[in-house]
Amino acid sequence: MSEVRRLLPRPDIQSSATSVERLTERGFDHALSRISTMTSEDIIEEVSASGIKGRGGAAFPTGLKWSSVYKALGSEKYVVMNADESELGTFKDRVLLEQDPLGPLVGLLIAAHCVGARKAFCYIRGEYGEVEQNLADALEMLRMTGWVGPHSVEVEIRRGAGAYIAGEETALFNSIEGKRPEPRVKPPFPTQKGLWGSPTLIQNVETLANIAILFAHDVKWFKEYGTQDTAGTKLVALSGHIRRPGVYEVPFGTALTDILQKADLGGSITSGRSLGAVLLGGAAGTFLGPKEVENASLDYPSLNKAGASIGSGAMMVFDDTVDLSWVLTRMARFFAEESCGQCVPCRIGTRRILEIAESGNLRTRSQDLRELGQAMRDASICGLGQTAPVALLSVLDRPELMHD
Amino acid sequence: MENENSAIYQEVQALLGDLPQHRTQLLPLLWRVAEHQGRISRQAMEAIAVVLNVPVADVFGVASFYTLFEDVGENVPVYICTDVMCALAGAEQLKETAEHSAVNRPVAVKESACLGQCDHAPAAWIKGKVFKRATAEEIEAAIKEVRHE
Ligand SMILES: Cc1cc2nc3c(=O)[nH]c(=O)nc-3n(C[C@H](O)[C@H](O)[C@H](O)COP(=O)(O)O)c2cc1C
Ligand code: SF4
Ligand code: FES
Repeated sequence: MSEVRRLLPRPDIQSSATSVERLTERGFDHALSRISTMTSEDIIEEVSASGIKGRGGAAFPTGLKWSSVYKALGSEKYVVMNADESELGTFKDRVLLEQDPLGPLVGLLIAAHCVGARKAFCYIRGEYGEVEQNLADALEMLRMTGWVGPHSVEVEIRRGAGAYIAGEETALFNSIEGKRPEPRVKPPFPTQKGLWGSPTLIQNVETLANIAILFAHDVKWFKEYGTQDTAGTKLVALSGHIRRPGVYEVPFGTALTDILQKADLGGSITSGRSLGAVLLGGAAGTFLGPKEVENASLDYPSLNKAGASIGSGAMMVFDDTVDLSWVLTRMARFFAEESCGQCVPCRIGTRRILEIAESGNLRTRSQDLRELGQAMRDASICGLGQTAPVALLSVLDRPELMHD
Repeated sequence: MENENSAIYQEVQALLGDLPQHRTQLLPLLWRVAEHQGRISRQAMEAIAVVLNVPVADVFGVASFYTLFEDVGENVPVYICTDVMCALAGAEQLKETAEHSAVNRPVAVKESACLGQCDHAPAAWIKGKVFKRATAEEIEAAIKEVRHE
């Protein structure tokens, strides 16, 4: 399978990304008119029928989340677009917001309308200045057309300031509230108690873009691509030793080899070398060896067999000269620096892993690392601590990937 | 402790502008101060605390959490991404050149985690501007241009 363009506009599109013409051309004004006559129950049913799952990493069924927020008790409700995107190797939300900011914004408006929120936030990482401007221009246009404003839904952009952990949903709420962006203990989940203790729907940028194209068309159209298990397309972010690094939209079920090799996708490994490993899904992802890459496709059941997941859609490509213990050491430093320090297993665990990595003992201390990893997975408050050892453990499980 | 007559208080109050005088505006106000003054000094934090009626310790706790609010004194921070994908593309060398160019200039060269630009590695970030496929010459020129407002 080659590239498909649905979440990303076709390259020959003429209208400016933040214009009224774009809104029409992409069918987003149709989507907004369509949902304004639908009941919340019908909207939720359509989202559920599409099978859309969260694209921020955890792949939680989106319809189910909307239903909990809709049913939650509370006079105030909020919706949030998570554009913090600070995961290693992940830049698909940036590209989406550069090329088509109206998609995610329209998805956000649909979400607000559905769950009954009058106020929405877009939380964007502080280093994405130009993208934030694009988002602000798109918002201004939507305000002029009346889709955004005091009589519909107010949307506010909040700029992060360099903290990976602020992308974790509850840390993000604290950040908006003017507190330290430290994760909260769950439960209660955001669907019940999010921003200022009110039911809050938080979704990734790409998830919201999927909502917009779904309602611009219908479930049947949405399911024209993808697999039995997962309908639709996924943005993958290719980087590293690959000819054509960048963001590509492919149907679920596309062979990983196609993503790396096809002329209109990755276009093969650079400088004629062969593939050493792919780190799939970001810093908390899984390293796959060449054989596994050959046998896997971009879908949850297929990757599950290899013990991997799609995560954010990052595919970091390493040729056969790269020393993975160097990569793991760099990643260990990242986690140790980005741990908020609130809970012991993560604060101490990420430090211990870094020490072991820096002393060059990853292989000899593999049993200790496994035990440490288990403790972190079991006892950390949030996803950072729970998943910080995942990539490391995936290499320990594949000793053939470590060469001297 | 800054009081309501000090210059910095007046300045912070003016920077608050149209924003509601409320704790939820802490992050937006920190950004306004950072952009206007090029840094968030201790005195500015104390003034922010008074303006928003938030304990100074909380303002400090929040500001110090974020990398981009790190106080590098009178210097302008230059962030070079040295995370995995940029390191593969020669970020270490870029950082060394930057450090060399920064000698005797009001610049602090900092390593940054992934900037979300791995498709254009190596990347750098200077005063809000992203440098894609950054070259040593480009970074050197940018560092030489740094002046104090
Ligand atoms: C440490 C950490 C960082 C995260 N960063 C992001 C992020 O930058 N963007 C994002 O969409 N989700 C991020 N998430 C996931 C969010 O907590 C949340 O699950 C997501 O925004 C839900 O949206 P979705 O269901 O549409 O994927 C992060 C999670 C953790 C644990
Ligand atoms: S797991 Fe780590 S990042 Fe998450 S709350 Fe605990 S210390 Fe903070
Ligand atoms: S690793 Fe440098 S931008 Fe991603």
